Amino acid sequence: MSGHDSKYFSTTKKGEIPELKEELNSQYKDKRKDAVKKVIAAMTVGKDVSSLFTDVVNCMQTENLELKKLVYLYLINYAKSQPDLAILAVNTFVKDSQDPNPLIRALAVRTMGCIRVDKITEYLCDPLQRCLKDDDPYVRKTAAICVAKLYDINAELVEDRGFLESLKDLISDNNPMVVANAVAALAEIQENSNRPIFEMTSHTLTKLLTALNECTEWGQVFILDALSRYKAADAREAENIVERVTPRLQHANCAVVLSAVKMILQQMELITSTDVVRNLCKKMAPPLVTLLSAEPEIQYVALRNINLIVQRRPTILAHEIKVFFCKYNDPIYVKMEKLEIMIKLASDRNIDQVLLEFKEYATEVDVDFVRKAVRAIGRCAIKLERAAERCITVLLELIKIKVNYVVQEAIIVIKDIFRRYPNTYESIIATLCESLDTLDEPEAKASMIWIIGEYAERIDNADELLESFLESFPEEPAHVQLQLLTATVKLFLKKPTEGPQQMIQVVLNNATVETDNPDLRDRAYIYWRLLSTDPEAAKDVVLAEKPVISDDSNLLDSSLLDELLANIATLSSVYHKPPEAFVTRVKTSSPRPEDEEYGSETGNSESAADSAATGASPPPTSSGSVPYAAQRQPVPAPASPAAPVPDLLGDLIGLDNSAIVPVDQPAAPAGPPLPVLLPASTGQGLQISAQLTRRDGQIFYSILFENNTQVPLDGFMIQFNKNTFGLAAAGPLQVPQIQPGTSAGTLLPMVTFQNMSQGPPSSLLQVAVKNNQQPVWYFNDKIPLHVFFTEDGRMERANFLETWRSLPDSNEITKDFPGIVVGNVEATLDRLAATNMFFIAKRKHANQDVFYFSAKIPRGIPFLIELTTVVNTPGVKCAIKTPSPESAPLFFEAVETLLKD
Amino acid sequence: MGILFTKMFSSLFGNKEARILVLGLDNAGKTTILYRLQMGEVVSTIPTIGFNVETVQYSNIKFQVWDLGGQTSIRPYWRCYFPNTQAIIYVVDSSDTDRLVIAKEEFHAILEEEELKGAVVLIFANKQDLPGALDDAAITEALELHKIKNRQWSIFKTSAIKGEGLFEGLDWLSNTLKSGGG
Repeated sequence: MSGHDSKYFSTTKKGEIPELKEELNSQYKDKRKDAVKKVIAAMTVGKDVSSLFTDVVNCMQTENLELKKLVYLYLINYAKSQPDLAILAVNTFVKDSQDPNPLIRALAVRTMGCIRVDKITEYLCDPLQRCLKDDDPYVRKTAAICVAKLYDINAELVEDRGFLESLKDLISDNNPMVVANAVAALAEIQENSNRPIFEMTSHTLTKLLTALNECTEWGQVFILDALSRYKAADAREAENIVERVTPRLQHANCAVVLSAVKMILQQMELITSTDVVRNLCKKMAPPLVTLLSAEPEIQYVALRNINLIVQRRPTILAHEIKVFFCKYNDPIYVKMEKLEIMIKLASDRNIDQVLLEFKEYATEVDVDFVRKAVRAIGRCAIKLERAAERCITVLLELIKIKVNYVVQEAIIVIKDIFRRYPNTYESIIATLCESLDTLDEPEAKASMIWIIGEYAERIDNADELLESFLESFPEEPAHVQLQLLTATVKLFLKKPTEGPQQMIQVVLNNATVETDNPDLRDRAYIYWRLLSTDPEAAKDVVLAEKPVISDDSNLLDSSLLDELLANIATLSSVYHKPPEAFVTRVKTSSPRPEDEEYGSETGNSESAADSAATGASPPPTSSGSVPYAAQRQPVPAPASPAAPVPDLLGDLIGLDNSAIVPVDQPAAPAGPPLPVLLPASTGQGLQISAQLTRRDGQIFYSILFENNTQVPLDGFMIQFNKNTFGLAAAGPLQVPQIQPGTSAGTLLPMVTFQNMSQGPPSSLLQVAVKNNQQPVWYFNDKIPLHVFFTEDGRMERANFLETWRSLPDSNEITKDFPGIVVGNVEATLDRLAATNMFFIAKRKHANQDVFYFSAKIPRGIPFLIELTTVVNTPGVKCAIKTPSPESAPLFFEAVETLLKD
Repeated sequence: MGILFTKMFSSLFGNKEARILVLGLDNAGKTTILYRLQMGEVVSTIPTIGFNVETVQYSNIKFQVWDLGGQTSIRPYWRCYFPNTQAIIYVVDSSDTDRLVIAKEEFHAILEEEELKGAVVLIFANKQDLPGALDDAAITEALELHKIKNRQWSIFKTSAIKGEGLFEGLDWLSNTLKSGGG
């Protein structure tokens, strides 16, 4: 083919990013603006345009407000991913914060607060300081919020630079919006701090009350929230404050109304005059009622808050029960809340009306709502003694309509009514018994069985009724079984005739022998023992008078109620849970760990140290725990090693045993059991387990000899064949005489590069061991490459990148380990670091985590390692680059072992 | 084609555009020079953490002048601004004799850059108003300017505070660029 065909390989088309890059650097303003718009569009749909960072930042210094806003938007999004380059934007921020246009000044200070990059935070303090004292209120109010943001990033900085004082000064600002934002910022800072930061004085109080009337609705919410935390000095002051705030109750914004209600409720605690309190209660009713004409969602929020309010001050809405009557088209969640409040507001005066409503609801179609309505009738009966009879009449009417779930729900509440008013309404039992067959829900069944047992003496056919349940005893749920057991015992105690006696035997047998529910069995045994030893005592126990119950369901504990009332108009008052129960705050006082990368960045060494400290679980104790092998080592090494060791083995294998260096006997091997290399069956009763390990920068051969022969063994010697790394013993093997049935372990120091074998690298290590009693034993071991990883293998990130680039691509080798799962990243990194495989950086790629490590083996051969995996999912990809690619297989073997642990 | 046409057009009317980088160690006076050129007055400056960019119209050339921060921490990012640069103004604090060696090293590192191969170099021996300031000859010596090959360069004694020497330098720059140096 002719050379013309090369044109097919060159293309004039560039990728989108280079094209954008070119446009961003265009000399024409319009083109640059268009380009930035394209970048923002790409960013919005999720494309990564972070590589254009400098080019976009270069467009930042412009007269064009629109362009500037777009660049700011870009910065907020990408500054975190380009923390180093973000510094290039600092000067522009500083300039913009001094721009003649207040909008630009405010924009600059607002954007600065959104850029959470430690390196540049410091530079932003001066502009912020200036903006807090700006002539324009819009800039000041923006700066106030920025202080709160900065506090979240670096609390210390805010305190050192006196921003808190500046914020407090802003409370006296003449612009109400600035005051409101300063209050909001201080309140937020206070929530994140353990120290008192924002304490209101009578002076600030006046300022806030003045600003309250003039600022925007959301500003009013901030101020009201702050006021509700103020502890008035006396009732008089409280009255005055409340008086200034009551007009807020008329506000159109429901957040303002609720915050005002909260504030007034808090201050009311201090007010002693009953007249004033009554008056206030009267004033609070209409705004709360008005909230119920809003959309259902707001109604729900209002209802949840009202639920709390009526628990503390029922008088406020005592006359307004009608507004809580459910409308047919209310959403179910509103209906349920309304029912709850109706029960709370029900009184002797309005009970007839309420009962009519409830009865109406009980005939609706929504099963949950109907059930709740029936239950509500029961709860009213329990709550209002004088109305109990009327409630029961309604319940009986409902039972008569024979709707299954209505009947069951009614029986459940009637049981409670019996508990509340003993010996009053038992005449209705006959009616209840008629519906016995329809019961299929455990709770209703259990209730009915309880009623039968409790009133067995008044029900003529109680034994028959119970017997009908007994047939299905083994299939019933646990609490029905428990009720059946107790009811049968009661029946027997009340009517100790033949029928019940037979029944009781069946039940006790069922409940003790044929069940595996311990509660049931225990209760049955107790009854059994009671009945068989002292039936009179059993009567006293089982038929004892029960305490009368009251309606305390859905009532909150008073201290919790206090806390919730202080949080009215927040999520807490909707959940009816204290804030700490569902919000977890990151305390700014503790160092904020970098969530993307750790370990290599300066400035977070503290957090790295923290994690290291926690990672290294219990400190290794040398004496406390008894290591596996040391336990078995019978005697310490002989004080003076046998001076010249005859080199018998060397002759045998044909090697010279070089470098006989006397070394101190090192500590006995510890840790997990060593792999058995010479089983006792092969070694005529001698078992040898051994493994290469690295300790304190030196390689040892950790060996354990177990003597299963009949004779003592002594005179142990060891020899290594030529191997890839030239591993050889640094000294003679020092093993004492081993008595039959005992064992001895030792750590043999090793040297490298002694007798190196030629040929491709191999992990094979051939070992020979002899003693005075037995022939020479040969066995093979594997050299784990990681014992050679040196302590100085840590690389700086820059160095790593440079080395990676400098090595040709042909030196990159990849291997997959499909079966390996990385579960706990921290633990894995710790483990790798312990073997001198040093973590350098981490990045996210799609859903995968990519980790970079460095390691070094003697003679300065580095390994640059990239591990790619999805945490907790099998499959790890390992890519390495090294000047010595021939040792890659050994490396992968080592990595596999390390990751598998 | 369109761009080429505009270029021809603008050169016909003498409206040339040039992209210029102002580089140098921190506290050399780069920002002061920029605003002296642009507004003709001395503004109070703070260390530039990042960059300033202004357009300076001078003798029919529209200079887009990029003043880059000289802090050690920012110098690595100078290279982000190298592409398409026609000229470099390298500013030296002539009174800061201790750091002339560093200034020289940074200067020669810039000259090595592939992307700046075609850029002409103007050196401002700044702060001549200060006592003990070295003159242009001494700075030439200290920066080893004679080693510059294959590139047009010139050095001027300047004082940004007094406004001396700056426009002479700009004259040289515009003449050099017009004559096709850029």
